Amino acid sequence: MTKSLLRPDQPLRLVDTFPPSAPAHQAIIRVEDLSIVFDAPSGQVIAVDRVSLTVVQGEFVSIVGPSGCGKSTLLNAMAGLERPFEGQVLIAGEAMRVPRPEIGMVFQQPHLFPWKSVRRNIAHGPRALGKPKAEALRIADELIEMIGLTRFASAYPHTLSGGMQQRVAIARALANQPRVLLMDEPFGALDAQTRAVMQDNLLELRERINATIVFVTHDIDEAILLSDRVLIMSAGPGRILRDLQVSLPRPRSSAIVADAAYLALKRDCLDLIRSEGRRAFEQMEVKA
Amino acid sequence: MSGGGRSSASATARLSVLVAVLSVPAFTGVWELVARSGIVNAVLFPPPSTVAVAILEWIRSGQFFADLTASLSRVVAGFAIGAAGGIVLGVLTGRFRLVSSLLSPLFHILRPIPPVAFVPIVILWFGLSETGKLFLVVWGVFFTVWLATHIGVQKVDRGLIRAAQMLGTPQPQMLWEIVLLGALPYITVGLRTAVSISFYTLVAAELAGAFAGIVYRIEIAQQNMQTGQVMGGLAALGLLSFVADRAFATLAERAVWWR
Repeated sequence: MTKSLLRPDQPLRLVDTFPPSAPAHQAIIRVEDLSIVFDAPSGQVIAVDRVSLTVVQGEFVSIVGPSGCGKSTLLNAMAGLERPFEGQVLIAGEAMRVPRPEIGMVFQQPHLFPWKSVRRNIAHGPRALGKPKAEALRIADELIEMIGLTRFASAYPHTLSGGMQQRVAIARALANQPRVLLMDEPFGALDAQTRAVMQDNLLELRERINATIVFVTHDIDEAILLSDRVLIMSAGPGRILRDLQVSLPRPRSSAIVADAAYLALKRDCLDLIRSEGRRAFEQMEVKA
Repeated sequence: MSGGGRSSASATARLSVLVAVLSVPAFTGVWELVARSGIVNAVLFPPPSTVAVAILEWIRSGQFFADLTASLSRVVAGFAIGAAGGIVLGVLTGRFRLVSSLLSPLFHILRPIPPVAFVPIVILWFGLSETGKLFLVVWGVFFTVWLATHIGVQKVDRGLIRAAQMLGTPQPQMLWEIVLLGALPYITVGLRTAVSISFYTLVAAELAGAFAGIVYRIEIAQQNMQTGQVMGGLAALGLLSFVADRAFATLAERAVWWR
């Protein structure tokens, strides 16, 4: 895909560059020499191999790589859903061992509670954290308005389209006002048009919330369009190959695809991924 | 051509409705004829008319409702206790490996023993008391519901649990909301199976010795050679467990309310 997925009639509304104000330069996520190993029938598999990275407060960082490169595993470790084999993940100075409510997560599938209405799904987090019911529902109503689903507040998830469900999942993660929002290919299961609208929504949303976002995807266009930084991962074992700063001006729009800097960046990414893919493929053949 | 095909198809459909409506009356008619013809011994194999008279007499004497209440209360109480225990332990064994390691081997050994086989020991333990009958029904219901819940809990979408974890869901809410409701479609299947099992075990419990109940009435009638009453009892038992199953199926559909 060489064209931006954004539709021209839906221009991005975005402030200029990410504000590099004083507290913004503080690292909020620190991944230190992280390795994650899985037990497989064929022996141990290194999913993540001594990865170190830092994400600064307020930053939007994408992790791009082929399927099976360990990018989701890395994200799960940041979420506290995956235990490190070696090394650690520090968020706000504290090691992640179990999930913490100030870290929000959006998965590839919405994973909404099917027995709860949209409103109750979003109110789940605040309720779980012991907020009074009235307050939890007020938070939910605010978020429902923000994602534009007011008409569907009392609908059950199975009556919604995939894109709407994913919007609810994002709102549900935001209801706990997370400091960090982790997103694991959140638009990967959506059709191209819905995905474009969702990317647009996410860019707008980012202006309203004050969260650091780590976004896993295999779509380079999506990564460049959304991010301040793109990390490119290699497969088997999962490592970070390159850390690219996306210094394209904001607000960004679909016109970005014509930008020479965008194209250069994308070519860089593609070359890296292609040569890496070839290497991994040859490695596989040698093994076989 | 297609019109002819359609009309012959609808004729077949109409005929099968007619046959379905007439099935039971026709069967009853044949039964009546055979029983009265002298081919079989009418004392051992009474015609439906005799059975109907016996049922009416049973109702008129007031014993029917006493028997019905006795049997139903055993089934309902046994079902409630067995199902509640099965669900609670099923959630625990399904969710916690240690609890499962402790209890599952034991349950898997006890589960295949037919509840009827426990009648002798139950009589030794509880005599002819209601406790013994309750024990048998609970026993039958418990293992079915436990297994269905255990499997259902293990099949709960991992993504739902992870999502709930990320939102800070405390452990009790995780168990009794996310896991329990996630497994509910499986649990309702187990509960429905347990409804018919509770009637099987009721039979064993009342045959073992009782002072009222539908199966007790069947046994007494058998001892007095009242075959009409015996068959009336069987019909009542069949109808009762049929109604219970249908009622439960309707209830189960509503239990999974989000579908």
